[in-house]
Parts: sequence; structure tokens; C-alpha cells
Amino acid sequence: MRSSATGHGAGNRHLRARTAAVGMLVGVLALAACSGGTTVGGTSTASDTSSPYGFKAAAQTEGAPITVWVDSTRQPAAKAFQAAHPDIKINIVAYDGNANGSNTFKTKTQLFDRAGSGWPDVAFTTDNNSAAWGSLTGTAALAPVNKGLIPQASLDKFAKGALDVCTLDGVAYCLRNDLAQNVLWYNKKLMDEWGYTVPTTWEDYQTLAGKVATEHPGYIVGTAGDAWTPEIYFWAAQCPANKVTGPTAVSVNTADPACVKAAKLLDGLIANKTMSTLSLFGPEFAQTQGDKVLMLPGPSWYGGAVFQGAIKSPAGQIAAAAPLKWADASSPATGNVGGGAWWISSHSANLKAATAFATWVTSQSAFDGALVPTYPANTAAAADWVKASQKDGYYANDIQPAFETAAAQVWSGWGSPSFSQEAIWAKVVQAGMTKGQTIESLLPAWQAQVANEAKALGYTVTTP
Amino acid sequence: MTDQVTVPAGSQRLAGSRRGSLVGWAFVTPFVILFVLFGLVPVIYSLYLAFTNRSGAGVGLANFAKAIDDFRFWPAVQHVAIFTIIWLVLLAVLVVGLTLVIHRIARRRTKAFIRFAYYIPGALAGASSVLLWLFLLDPSVSPVSWLLRLTGAETFQQVVSSERLPVIFALIAFWTGAGGWILVLYGALNTIPTEVMEAAKVDGAGPIRSAIQIELPMIRKSIVYMLILTLAAGTQLFVEPQLVSQASFGIVPNDYSVNQLAYVFAFGQNDFNGSAAISVLLLVVAVVGAALFVWRGKLFEAE
Amino acid sequence: MSSDLTTDLRRPTAGGSARARRAGSRSLVGIILIIFLAFFLVPVIWLLLSGTKSAQALTNQGPFTAGTFADLQANWNALMTFQDGAVATWMGNSVLYAGAALIISLLVSMPAGYALAKLQFKGRRPLLLATLVVMLMPATSLVLPIFLEMNVVGLVNTPLSVILPYSFFPFGVYLAYIYYSTALPGEILEAATIDGCGPWGTFWRVVLPLSTPVVALVGFFSFVQNWNNFFLPFVMLPRSEAYPMQVGLSQMLASTPTFNPVVGASAEVSPPELVLATLVSIAPVLLIFIVAQRYLVTGLTAGATKG
Repeated sequence: MRSSATGHGAGNRHLRARTAAVGMLVGVLALAACSGGTTVGGTSTASDTSSPYGFKAAAQTEGAPITVWVDSTRQPAAKAFQAAHPDIKINIVAYDGNANGSNTFKTKTQLFDRAGSGWPDVAFTTDNNSAAWGSLTGTAALAPVNKGLIPQASLDKFAKGALDVCTLDGVAYCLRNDLAQNVLWYNKKLMDEWGYTVPTTWEDYQTLAGKVATEHPGYIVGTAGDAWTPEIYFWAAQCPANKVTGPTAVSVNTADPACVKAAKLLDGLIANKTMSTLSLFGPEFAQTQGDKVLMLPGPSWYGGAVFQGAIKSPAGQIAAAAPLKWADASSPATGNVGGGAWWISSHSANLKAATAFATWVTSQSAFDGALVPTYPANTAAAADWVKASQKDGYYANDIQPAFETAAAQVWSGWGSPSFSQEAIWAKVVQAGMTKGQTIESLLPAWQAQVANEAKALGYTVTTP
Repeated sequence: MTDQVTVPAGSQRLAGSRRGSLVGWAFVTPFVILFVLFGLVPVIYSLYLAFTNRSGAGVGLANFAKAIDDFRFWPAVQHVAIFTIIWLVLLAVLVVGLTLVIHRIARRRTKAFIRFAYYIPGALAGASSVLLWLFLLDPSVSPVSWLLRLTGAETFQQVVSSERLPVIFALIAFWTGAGGWILVLYGALNTIPTEVMEAAKVDGAGPIRSAIQIELPMIRKSIVYMLILTLAAGTQLFVEPQLVSQASFGIVPNDYSVNQLAYVFAFGQNDFNGSAAISVLLLVVAVVGAALFVWRGKLFEAE
Repeated sequence: MSSDLTTDLRRPTAGGSARARRAGSRSLVGIILIIFLAFFLVPVIWLLLSGTKSAQALTNQGPFTAGTFADLQANWNALMTFQDGAVATWMGNSVLYAGAALIISLLVSMPAGYALAKLQFKGRRPLLLATLVVMLMPATSLVLPIFLEMNVVGLVNTPLSVILPYSFFPFGVYLAYIYYSTALPGEILEAATIDGCGPWGTFWRVVLPLSTPVVALVGFFSFVQNWNNFFLPFVMLPRSEAYPMQVGLSQMLASTPTFNPVVGASAEVSPPELVLATLVSIAPVLLIFIVAQRYLVTGLTAGATKG
């Protein structure tokens, strides 16, 4: 510095610099103190058997307004609740609902945890693994619902196993909004035309695919181009690639015969070109294979989103059959692809209103006259929904038996850990498939990635 | 102005005095307030996070060790290194070259139009362009499908396979970033007095020679500034892989780059300490690079 | 003020070959410029055309075919009625946040850049260094501390929580610093001092009027950076009515079936509608560019020290 500093000036400079530094330090420490929030990793003090709710709730204020986070699809639900319950004050906040893996709910909750305020009272998200991080042994941001908050009778109104996705150690943390049980979709018109019988086992499905490859090349019996492919084929085979055994424990074994058999099935069908490797919702599928779908194992929401939405199949052609089972399986099992849930914050100041909201919106099959787009998890609402969605006669058969059977067959051995199984499948297996590798050869890599990501998140991983 | 020290010949700075210093501080105080609030305190806080654990206890270099040991760290470093080299060279050479060329165009309207046209992609950031890349990189619907097929890719998933990614990201980053830097360098070129350029022409310097010997040195500081920020932007690659990850529904992973890994640590694993450690590592790289450029390019000297 | 080829032609030339050489190099230059024009513009043209198509047409028709006016109309109506006119609200918010931050950051950055370049004060170099270091810090790491700061003063969920951090614009301060240190001759400052201007008067009445190019540049970049910022408002503004356009766009993205298959027909946003939303969101930026561009070309010191 070229300044002509006198001794006095220099002394002043040092004093000023020191004051500034101290001030800065104080500021930083204040921030650090404020950000204490909840620490992650085992605080069983959040559980409280003396409380009527089963956990240490915040101070309750009668009539306090509640903040509800919804995505654009659930906005009609929130608005309908507002109209039906004018005495409860609610603020509706629209956000992306975790679409496309945005992790918004998790990101924002973590920030609120650090700041100590700001949580919504109820939030909808399709991020079904929220319990993995928000449970009482995690950040304790989510309220347990089956420890006193919601009467068991209400919880029993949901389909069997519907709350499994958000249950850890017997504690459930969510109210399931909709199910996505996998059924076998098929084109009845084509099946009848070509004289095929609808298969009931995966073995028959495989044989039929072989016939289709020779007799009607170009037609497909399934797709393996989306990241949820394992949730359709591997889950149904009861492959133990995603067994969550505790709040921070997961076991993965993709060398298990169940996994290998599912992989072989897919590889065979990809090889004879009856299984597409395009993404169902990308631009290319609708263009090139949209009208060549003979069969399509997939979740219940394919009916609306795929057949009526993406590929626009004509009415009267598409039907649903009960999910396929493996002939050697002890009990029939199917998978599940998604379905959202409602989560109540453990920091809510008006749990009464929050639970009223969550219970009410999950019990309806339609809002303001418009049907919800997906199969409700509440059994009564589901029955109404299936009846109503068939009124326009789009489907070629009665889809109710297939949907109901499948809803009860979702295998409970596929868990919802903190990391995204779909992301892992996409970056390891799909990337490998693009390079021409078979799924069977990618099974070890899949297992390795699951193990690595789980460990990075603090899970104890059991591999054979 | 009577207590001012006489300005030494050649110096272009109002000479120092206590009054002069106060004046200087008066000019920068509003900026310094914002700087402390939104620059300095957050950086120090991040440093604090990087050396402590969740409960605030000091843990030395443990966070750094954890980050470096993470199985995704070294692949990410590799990705970023390749990308940064391609990106830095592409941007430095092409932006400087294009700016010089545009600056010489005769007609004002053409110049203005070209600057505008080159800039438009820079306005397309973030969420909006996910859809754009979903279509642009899919040979079945892309307007540049012939280019994609030329590289041997027939499907979208082949286009985004790992060998092609650094080049794809560099092209996307160049596409969005070039226009802005062209603007900055263009403004810098405009500050060269016309007399200098006329003198060069009289001396018989052709366009290339006058560019290299006269124009480039005179906009040296802007070029150095660009190189510093471009190096930092390259090593802190985030937006492009994030966009393509979304557009490819996860086939391109969301932990492709080191900065993305920092984000995943913070918001995916609730490990803000590890995330801060990674950010500090990135900062060190950027500062070392900047120091190199500042020293060679004499950024802080008065003219 | 540009040195251009027309001046070349007016001078006597050495002969026809030199002229032919210049013409050859001019067409080479022209070809290069056109190739890059295509590079930058082809995706933009695709965007413009896609906004006029229906969702079916977008996937089935070729990329460079035009849609119909009726489809454009339908897309526009759907866009404007999305979530009860959310798009208009979001655009208004973006204008508010980026506009307010623009004014503040200009008021703050220009004097600071000038002082760093031309004034002498203790701590000048450390401040320059510190500013550069802060600029190099990855932005992801700054969000949490800024969020905590805003939370402490209770500003979260207000426009200020976004406007104030936006106004901190070190990039602009450096642009001003570089500009003033390279292009502002000391003679002007001395002349002003001799004329009796105090330091503030010198800045306000002499330097600023000569700074239109850098003011335009800094203002423009400040506006664009803040207009395009996603993560800060995402973190600071929980209410959807307060979202700027970028955050709103991500919400629209989350309602597009391509990215969220289960969105359901009533809430659905079609890809061409999303394209139109994108075009709407970049329009103000491009408009400000056109305005700012006019000031970029004015010379800095023309006439200031002559005579």
C-alpha cells in the first residue's frame, strides 16, 4: 500500500482490522449457533410414549392455520378441502412434488431443519422414501401416524401393504395417496384377432413373446427403457436387490436366482425384439412403437398416462389382466411403480387440522367432479374410482378385478431406502444396455453401485 | 483540495492521504456491506463447516478425507478435468477470435444483429432448456440429427453415452456462454482509441497483425478476467450435466461433476460439512488458477 | 468508431491483387460468421417453431416445419391460464426482483469499481483480492449461510430475501474496475480536479457520463444473472405466488408428462406449451439486450481530453 501511514494511522488500522475480524467471527458463530437445528443420526428422544401422538409434538394451537404443499395434480384436492372445510385455515403452496427426482421436499426440509422453522404442516410428494431420512431415528421431521396420531381404524381403510413404503421398524409415517400396483396391460383386439390367450405366468408370457417375434415382428410385449424397469420385472420376481432391513440397513443380492431369472427374461425378449428399450414418454416411442404394443406389464397408471396419454391408443382395445406370476413362486407377487403419499410434519402446531386434511383428501376419488388420475390407496375410494373411470368405456374389459387382485399382491420385500434405486438403474444398467451389454452381465455392477451409494448414505450394507 | 499531496508525474491515481483514503472508502462502503453479508460471511461459514462436524466440533481434515475417499469423487474429477480443458481452449480461442472478427464488420446493423444472435442462447438457462436438450439430443426428432448420426449415435441414449459427454457439455456451455463474453470483450475492444488503430494501419499492419500485436494486448485485462472465470466455471461444472441428467431421466448421473457431488452431499445426504469441504477444494483450484492468470496477466496493476 | 473495412477501401490500394485478397478474406470471414450464426440460432429457431405446434405435431412432424396459428393460440391460452394465471404473476415477480436488484447493484457497483481503479485507499488491493476469491467460491456452498442469515433477520419469504443477495454483484464491480483502469485516462480526472470538482463531483459529473458502455454492460449482466437465477429464490421463497419465472418454469416442467408421467390430464402441460413458456421467459432478457446494445457502442473518451 502506497499510503503515508503515520504511527497513529497504523495503530488505527490494526485496531480497525481486528474489530472487523472479531465482528466477522461473531457473525459466523451466530450463524453456526442458529443452524444447530436437528442433528441427524439417532435421536430416540423424539419418540415419546407419554404423548397422545406417540412422539414429542410441538406446542399445539387450536385453530392455527396450516400450510399444505401440493403439486399441480393435487391442487384441486387442496382447493376442494378448503371449500368443504371453511373453518380450517389453510395456505396452499404449489411446488413440483418431487417430479423427475427433484428432491425438493427433502432439500427444503433439510434447510428448515437447520433454520429451525418453516416446515409445511402437510406435504404431498411422490418421493416415497421420505421416511428413510425423516423418521424419528433420522431427522425426526415427519410425524408417525400409527402411534396415536391417527386411529388404527382409519389406517385400516387403506389397501393391504399400502403404507409399507413409509413404514420403518413398524412405525408408519405417511398416508398413501395412490397405489401403482403392476398389472398386465394388453391389447385385447389384437390378442383376439391373432388368437392368442392372455398369459397368466411369466413362462407363458415368454413363450408368447417368442411366437410374436416370428409371427408379428415389430410388435412388443413390454418395455425396458425406463428407470423403473426393475420395479416391474425384478420386484415381481421377488429379487432381493432392495431389501431394507432397518432404518439404516439394506441388503442387496443380485446374484440370487430370482434376479437372474428376471434378467434372463428381459435379455431374451430384448434379443428377439419383443421388448422395447425406448423410454415410454420420450418422443421416439410414441412415433415408432406407439401403435405396436401387444402387451405391457406395468403399473395401474399406465392406463391413463401411457395408453390414453402418450400413445393415444384407440378406445375399446386396451384391457388389464391380473399380474403375471412365476410358476415356481410360493405366492403370487407383483411390483409397484410409484404412487405418492401425504406426510405430516412433526413440527406442526395444529396436528388436528393437518390430520383432518390428510385423511380427507386420501378418502376421495374425485375433486370438484374431476376424477383423480391414479388409483387411490384408500380401498373405498379405489372401488369408486375404478367404476367411474370405466364409465366412458375406454377399456375393453372390466379392469376392477385385475386392479384389486394386484393391489393385494405387492411384494413387501422391496423397500424404500434413502437413495434412489431408479437413478442407480439408469446410470448403471441403462447406460450399460446402451453399450450393448446384457442385463444379466450388469447385475454385479448394479449390486456394487447400490452397495456404494448405500454406504455413502450411512447404511450398513449386507451382500452375500 | 489543498491538503492533497502533489500528484507525481505519470501517476494516474489520486495520491494517498487520510482524506483520500476516507473518500475511497466512502465510494466502496455500500459494496463492502453487501460483500460482507453475502460474500465474506458465507465463505467463512463454509470454511467453518468444512473443518467441523455436525455438532460443531472441529475435526481437522476428516471431511476432506471423506470426500476424497467417496467412490464418486475421482470419476467426477476426471470428468471435470477433461471438460475444463476442452472448454477453456474452446472458449478462449473462439470467443476472442469471433469478437475480433465481429468488431471489424463494416455495417453497424449487421454487427448488432450478429452480437444479438450470438447472445440469444445465453438467455436460455435452467429449467427451460431441459426440454430443449431432450429434443436436441434425440436423433429421431432433433434439428441437428444429421450431426448426431455423424458421431455414430442412433438413439438418444447412445448420444449421451459417457465418451461423448465432455464434448456435449462443452458445446452446450459454449453455446450459452459465448455470447456474453463476446459482449464483454467487444466492449473492451471499443475502449481502444481509434488513433491507435489508425496508426497501426498507417504502419501497414494487416488485420491479423494488428489484432495480435495491438488489440489483444490492449484488452489483456478483460481476457485475463475471462480466463479466470472460465477456469472457475469449468471446474465448477454444474448446470450442463444437471440439465442433461434430467433430460435423460437419470442415464447421465446427477453426480457427474465435482460440484454436483457437493450438491448431492449437502441436499442428498444432509452432509453439509462434506459438501463444504468439496466446495473449498474447488475454491482452492480456482484460486490457484486465478493467481496464475493474475500474475501472468497483471490484472491488478494500474495502466 | 470501429475500425472497419470501409476505411480500408477508401485508401489507395496497391493493386487489384490486394483488393482480391481482401475480398477473399472477407468472404472467409463471412462464412465463419454464418457457420456460427447457424450454430447459435438453429436451436432457437427450433424453439420458435415448436411453440406453434401441438404436442402430436412436435413429435411427429419434422423439426423445421411450422405449426399452425390455431395451435399457437391454443398453446398461448393454455399457458396463460395455467394455475389461474400463474405465469403473469411469475413474470411480474421476476421483473420486480431483477429490476430492483439492477438499480441497487448499479448504484453500488459503479462507484466501487471506480474507486478500486482510480482512488487510493488502504485495503484497496485486499478488497480486490477478496472480491475475486469470493467470486470463485462455488455458489452451492453459499446458499445455506445466506438462507440462515435471512432467516435470522426474518426476511425469508419476502422479496428482499432475494433482492439483497442479488444486488451483491462482484462480477460487475470487476467489469467496472477493468474498464476504469484501462480506459479512463488520468488526465480527465486531473482536469476535473483542477476545475474544482471534489471526488464525488468528479465521479458524478465527469466519469459517469463517459461510462455509458460499462453501465450498460454491468446493468445488463446483473439483470440477466438475476433473471436466470433459480436456486436462491427456490430456497428463499416458499409461497408459489412469490416465485420468479425460473422457479415457475421448473414447476411447469414438473407438470409435463414427459418428465412426470402421472401428472394427470387436468394439470398437464404439453411440451409446446412449455416451449412457449420458455420463449416468454427469455423475452425480457432479449429486450434489455437490444436496449443495452445501443449504449455499448458509444465511445468512451471521444472529445473528453481533446482540445
